[in-house]
Amino acid sequence: MSEVRQKPRAPLLPGVVALALSTVYLIALLAVEKQPLVIGLLALAVVAVLAAHYMDWLNPVARSFAEREGTLSVYAILAACVVAAFFHDNHFVLLLFVTVLLYTVATLGLNIEFGYAGVLNFAGASFFGIGAYTSAVLNTYTAVPHLLVLLIGGMLAALIGSLLLLPVLRTRGHYAALVTIAFALLLKTFLEVNDVLGGPQGMQVKGMSILGWSFNDNFEVGKIEMSFYLNYFVVSMLLLCGTFVLVRRLERSWIGLNLDAVRLDETAASCFGLDIARWKITAFVLGNFVIGVAGALFGMVGGFVAPNNYTFADSLIMVSILLLGGIGNPWGLVVATFIVVVLPEKLQTIQEYRFLLYALIVIMVLLFRPEGLLPRPVRRYFPGWRA
Amino acid sequence: MDVGLLTQYVMNGLMLGMMYTLVAVGFTLFFGVLDIIKFSHGDVLTVGAFTALATYIGLRSVGISSTPLLLLAMLVVAILAMAALGMLIARYLVMPLRSAPPLNTLLITLMLGTVLREMVRLFYPQGANPKPFPALLPTGSINLGQFNLRLDNVIMLAAGVTIIIGLRLLLDRTKLGLAIRAVAQDEETARTMGINFTAIVLITFAIGSALAAVAGVMNGLYYNEINFGMGLLLGVIGFSAAIIGGLGSIYGAILGGFLFAALQTIGAVALPFASAYKDVFAFTVVIALMAWRPTGLIQEKISERV
Amino acid sequence: MSRIVRQLSRFFASALFVGALVATAQAKDRVKVGFIGPLTGGVSVNGIGGRNSAELAVKLRNADAKAKYEYELVVLDDECKPNVAVQVATKMAADKEIIAGATHYCSATAIATVDVYHKFGFPIIVWGAVLPDITYRSKYAEVHRVNGTMIDQNDANAELISKLGFKNVAVIHDTTDYGKGHNAYFSKSLAKLGGKIVGTFGVTADQQDFTAELTQIKALNPEVIYFGGLTPIGVRIRSQMDKLGIKAVFDGTSGIVSDAFIQGLGPLAEGALAFREGASTEKLPGGKFFLENYAAQKYDNPPEAYGAFSYAAMDLILDSIEKVGPDRKKVIEELANVKDRDSIIGKVTFDDHGQNTVALITKYVVQDGKFVEWDDSEYAAGKRKLPGQK
Repeated sequence: MSEVRQKPRAPLLPGVVALALSTVYLIALLAVEKQPLVIGLLALAVVAVLAAHYMDWLNPVARSFAEREGTLSVYAILAACVVAAFFHDNHFVLLLFVTVLLYTVATLGLNIEFGYAGVLNFAGASFFGIGAYTSAVLNTYTAVPHLLVLLIGGMLAALIGSLLLLPVLRTRGHYAALVTIAFALLLKTFLEVNDVLGGPQGMQVKGMSILGWSFNDNFEVGKIEMSFYLNYFVVSMLLLCGTFVLVRRLERSWIGLNLDAVRLDETAASCFGLDIARWKITAFVLGNFVIGVAGALFGMVGGFVAPNNYTFADSLIMVSILLLGGIGNPWGLVVATFIVVVLPEKLQTIQEYRFLLYALIVIMVLLFRPEGLLPRPVRRYFPGWRA
Repeated sequence: MDVGLLTQYVMNGLMLGMMYTLVAVGFTLFFGVLDIIKFSHGDVLTVGAFTALATYIGLRSVGISSTPLLLLAMLVVAILAMAALGMLIARYLVMPLRSAPPLNTLLITLMLGTVLREMVRLFYPQGANPKPFPALLPTGSINLGQFNLRLDNVIMLAAGVTIIIGLRLLLDRTKLGLAIRAVAQDEETARTMGINFTAIVLITFAIGSALAAVAGVMNGLYYNEINFGMGLLLGVIGFSAAIIGGLGSIYGAILGGFLFAALQTIGAVALPFASAYKDVFAFTVVIALMAWRPTGLIQEKISERV
Repeated sequence: MSRIVRQLSRFFASALFVGALVATAQAKDRVKVGFIGPLTGGVSVNGIGGRNSAELAVKLRNADAKAKYEYELVVLDDECKPNVAVQVATKMAADKEIIAGATHYCSATAIATVDVYHKFGFPIIVWGAVLPDITYRSKYAEVHRVNGTMIDQNDANAELISKLGFKNVAVIHDTTDYGKGHNAYFSKSLAKLGGKIVGTFGVTADQQDFTAELTQIKALNPEVIYFGGLTPIGVRIRSQMDKLGIKAVFDGTSGIVSDAFIQGLGPLAEGALAFREGASTEKLPGGKFFLENYAAQKYDNPPEAYGAFSYAAMDLILDSIEKVGPDRKKVIEELANVKDRDSIIGKVTFDDHGQNTVALITKYVVQDGKFVEWDDSEYAAGKRKLPGQK
């Protein structure tokens, strides 16, 4: 017992340095427009990461992140604020940033379902869409306060998800996958043919406004003009932090332990008295709630919802983010989401090829590194505990 | 309802069912042999259809215009090419992942499907646009009141039935079929009995992909058009059909294929205000069926080692 | 505490440094203008034709020594999908360096993006979308359009059908606002002239199989099938009509006026009707000039039906920027004053909703693999007959 307490905690410095470098790099990448510069920056990143890997600099970084997570998370939040402040009047970059944040939240939800409980969900984008359509309908037809709309969006996604899960519970593996795939296609077709919800034309979503502060107007601090997307940035950041904390706490709690058991071996878990169905439903409902809330906020950010935004292909992109980032690792998800969302926007030439590229990358990952880019380490029971 | 009209609907349903069945049978074969779902099947169908189209264009440009010859050449080239593609997929993508969780195979084949689809869209000239597919079957038709019986539909239906019967015969009466069934039942024992596992797997994939090629050409002949996205929906429908029928059973696949087509046709007829709802209807029924009979109508026998 | 302060100041210092680097690299004297159209997907030939035409306008202006600025064309693809359109519209409008844009061929995309342009104060001129709501639903100062709306088109359509003696029409339309608009206006026009709509069917824009709808239509036995939608599904419907043995006249809108329609159907396209506002490109006032310069650039694709409008829109934008400078607000004011302005498509006047009036409607019929004007065709002369024509 005293041995565990006396082991020195990993130093903070490697993590901080990595964070600072990443922030600077991100600002540079988001700011440049000319293609040769972008390609140059990307090449630089690849070289730097490989070099760090060979010089064994990545290990200390990983350790300091793992053990000093609390402090480093605060710094990460600060770093994000710095990036946002730098681009305070650049609409498009902020929109991109907010998109990344919300996609990360959604994928974190997917992570709960899949990374922790092993429940396949190929309809992630559909639940995202349910959240978005909820905010569209409620904002247009009712006067429900917008924060409540977010919650309702999440709850609706969770509700529909739980209904969907019932047939899945009695089956395994690929049968479960089929149900979610069928649902993804079903929802898209339903939204398209249904005129009440706007049909293929979609619906406009009014911007968010809290206590009279309308989110869709540019505002000024002193004499500096700020893009209205900064409003959404603040809310998204809060949402992301909340979800991150939730996921981390969940992982470390006994709920997480049960989910892991269910994922790893159902037969053994049920021998130990775990109610498989109950835990799967818990994970699915929780995950979908998170996805729904993210979707509701995203609907308000974009101002527009259409069935074509939430197709099966988009669900596949979410799954590839999950795979790329490392199933079960929230930090990996953040990095992977950045790569998947920001890269095609910056590298215009690959815009057309992006689906092809993602699919190829995922295939490579599955063949050669199935744990993902930043794989989830073996379960840690106490911070600082080494297996 | 007019008898002629009813017959027309039935005919439509039969044609759809035939195409879904060909895809579903492929899924079932792969699952039976390797216990995996090869999601790229629908997109192999697309590649097959495009290969056939390319063959057609190539042959026409060198001056061959005899219709039966063209049709034969297209079929042969598409079948051989897809068989080869299927074997490559099996060898390099599926077999290395046999020891990994089955989810990985599902994902890798899903992604492969995307790769195939995007390659057609990006690298076939103007691949993003729908392409007209030549009508190579005789186009005579007999008008029986409201019902228009087309000769090419009959030919395609007959061809489909022949293929399925042929497959059944292959599996039941030949040594190869015996080997395939043995491997599907128990891999280890089959190996002990001297069956070359890898060879059988490759052959099964080749057969399944060849079926996809035929389905692709049929689809092109029926709609006179092919586009790069045709495989995705067909793949999912074929997969659903295979599952409702019960994975691992060829009869199940046939049952599932025609059942799904029947659901779509009933949906189109019974919901006249928006026949677009037919897909929603069909998929809802699929989900409901899964809730009722999770392992399909013809139950899969699962035994699991603890 | 000081550690955090040190780290924070490190962040800010590096951020500022990079920012300075980047800012200096961007001090230039070019003006950016934008173009949005469907460059991929089923109607891409129209989008590409429009893009080439806009590019032509920019090139000719840059070659002009009297021009005050050097123009750069930023091209984005809306894929004829409303959600993609909103994304690219946001991207273009949010970029402060792009002053104005010529946007959209597909009505479905144009109607989805008007609010985006208004939100960002980005002036646009629509070059190909015909849905009236685009300019008339809200009074946005930013939104203008050089081509006509579908109202006149459908009036002319209904008129021709009635004149030829057809009374029973079945309507198939796609479920986007474009198709629904066509349905609404055509049904109104036909009802006024005494025709009868025996059935209306909505289909999705990417639907493959129309046997269900066509089987029902066959039972209703119409003389004409009116199609409100774009070329890809027009091709499918026409060929599946033939498969089911339906012998009715195929009556389309400006959405099928495209070479892709004829290429997709081959001999089946014969006898199809279509309508479009504006004269054929050769017959426009600036038509010859436009076609000659277009051919000189040796583009792979023809300008298609709306290329000339795209050119006119871009030209108008460039004129405005030349006059008032690269300032979005000033360009919006300038465009509001456009009255009897000369352009290759004739005189352009924007009404209080930014809409130009294009009075002339050209009627087309497909004859021997080409879109021929109805009045010049052998059908009008009586030498050939449409299916079911007495």
